[in-house]
Amino acid sequence: MTRVVVTGLGVVSPFGLGVKAYWEGVRSGTCAIRPVTLIETEGFRCRIAAEVPDPVPGSPRRSRADRLALAAAREAIDDAGLGVAERRRAALVVGAVGGGMLEAEGWYWPAKRGGAPLCPTPALRSILPYSHADVVGSRLGLGGPRETLVTACSSGAVSLAVAADLVADGVVRVAVAGGADALTRICFMGFNALRLLDPEPCRPFDRARRGMSIGEGAAFVVLEDAAHAHARGARAYAELAGSGMTTDAFHVTSPQPDGEGMARAMMAALARARVEPKAVGYVNAHGTATLQNDRIEARALRSVFGAGGVLVSSTKSMIGHTMAAAGSLEAVATILALVHETVPPTVNLTTADSEVAFDCVPSMAREAAVDCAISNSFGFGGQNVTLLFRRL
Amino acid sequence: MTTGVAITGVGAVTARFTGGAATVSAFLAEPSPVHDAIADERLVALLGDGEARRLSRVCQLAVAAGRLALDDAELRAGDDVGLVLGTEFGDLRSTVEFADGYLAAGPPGLSALIFPNTVMNTMAAATTMAGELAIVRAAGAIASGRARAVLAGGVDQIDPFLGSMLADLGAGEERRGEGAVMLVLESASSARERGARILGEIMGTASGALAARPHGVGRSTQSSVVAEALAAASVELRHLGAVYDSTSGDRGRDHWEQRLLDTALGAGHERRSSLRRLIGAHAGAGALGVAAAAGAARRSGQVAVIVGP
Repeated sequence: MTRVVVTGLGVVSPFGLGVKAYWEGVRSGTCAIRPVTLIETEGFRCRIAAEVPDPVPGSPRRSRADRLALAAAREAIDDAGLGVAERRRAALVVGAVGGGMLEAEGWYWPAKRGGAPLCPTPALRSILPYSHADVVGSRLGLGGPRETLVTACSSGAVSLAVAADLVADGVVRVAVAGGADALTRICFMGFNALRLLDPEPCRPFDRARRGMSIGEGAAFVVLEDAAHAHARGARAYAELAGSGMTTDAFHVTSPQPDGEGMARAMMAALARARVEPKAVGYVNAHGTATLQNDRIEARALRSVFGAGGVLVSSTKSMIGHTMAAAGSLEAVATILALVHETVPPTVNLTTADSEVAFDCVPSMAREAAVDCAISNSFGFGGQNVTLLFRRL
Repeated sequence: MTTGVAITGVGAVTARFTGGAATVSAFLAEPSPVHDAIADERLVALLGDGEARRLSRVCQLAVAAGRLALDDAELRAGDDVGLVLGTEFGDLRSTVEFADGYLAAGPPGLSALIFPNTVMNTMAAATTMAGELAIVRAAGAIASGRARAVLAGGVDQIDPFLGSMLADLGAGEERRGEGAVMLVLESASSARERGARILGEIMGTASGALAARPHGVGRSTQSSVVAEALAAASVELRHLGAVYDSTSGDRGRDHWEQRLLDTALGAGHERRSSLRRLIGAHAGAGALGVAAAAGAARRSGQVAVIVGP
């Protein structure tokens, strides 16, 4: 059985460029959710989000989301020390949702209002989600299988799960995987229309939570056959020991109320990793801070781990819900928690909901030597993904 | 664990033919071009008034084709059946409709019902070959023992906004079509166990990426994917009986593909055909190609291959 290890990390987050800035941000419990500057918010109940601070590197001819993806993927590949030959055979699996919609809106909005477009027509080329994979693949010379996966808010996580399968199945020895999303008007307005956004920074698992905050960013990892990584002397951060993917088949936006689909994803990841629930010390929760998600995720966690059996935190309390990037950003936080033996906190949490039977690591990071940790991601349509990482 | 991958059901919804394996076979036996949009009434007839009203058009197509495929395979959906759907453009129409609501009336004009449709929610989004990639992903999950059965295929719709956008961008001359084609893939052992009819077997798959500028075509004429798929299937090139390519009338892309195939197959291998020229370019065409390849292999006793750059 091929073991899959993580040998490279790359991040662009609301804390800025790079893995270091990201880890310092989440470890210190800094909330990066602030008033929106990228798009107009007049007339909306919520007017805050976690934006990546400017400047975002890369040519302005590329969409913001393409640039976020490229910067994060490049850091991950450099971090892993992949050479040209390894890149030529490496798979690329990208989780995406919004694509270059921000620029497409800049073209469509003024045109519809009879004005001059803010973006030139060629910007539309990057409108669709697979633009990120095309840009990252072509710029970084990745010549193996190339896939773009869109499973709403679990896209970033599913990209890691599928890439790990490609490595485990022997299709490739190395895969670059991750997710990216920029803030867009469609996304911001959509969640406002659904009344799922809190006007204040989100408070996952808090009794008084009122909804989520959205964010943007990108995170990529390099996944590698452990033997291949060892042979080339690569440093491995952790093992991606298992993943689980399930679908609620229940509703287009609402999760199944009993959390059965979420629990099944966690159990599948545990089974694949051959790990007992009690061996898991930390869960990076999906934890959006919507009334429904947190309650149902708490039920699912309780059914798998029992009450109080595991530390649970939501890094969305600091960087918001970064959509397609969320699963991969949170996977990186989970890996770093194992490496640094420090569990990131849930900030803005004052009084935990009575249904949350866990220590949610409020306000401050906690030192904890954890051997196994999972990262949960749940998307529209009940698309549940759990990734299980093991410390090396 | 590695297992064979059987095709046990087909569901197709196009302007000309709608149905399962028998319907698809009848069309392929006497093919004729289908580039029309599918009449709304046909979708309502397939789904019923209530469901058709609740679903966007592209979702109507996907749900109808998925149901036809499951029926064709005599399989019930459930915990054991996965889903991998490919699309090139998803539900762009709903995205435009959602934006128009805001542009017409500000925040009160936004529809919470339309917003979820703006998310593609598809396991395989890609230019040109989203349907084929969905099949590759599903076959991989079954071959490795991670899934027992998967509904896989592709869907796309014709949309006026998309058409004008592609024209503004100077897109190729390909003729787009609309429709959905889904296949039921199962582990061969599980299919035999339940006595399912087996339409064909996917013996090997491969996918890869060549250097090309984003959104464009490349110059390389060397690709290893055909050889890799043949190797995975333990099949020699000379045993190929038919090749279904993905040419669609886009001269630049088609030329590139033909040069790649010339190199991979040898210039003398002339039994190539493209279903996209018949039913238009859309993600469903990829799954239809796999169904056609399975049919050709069954009829001739030879092996067919489906490719798409």
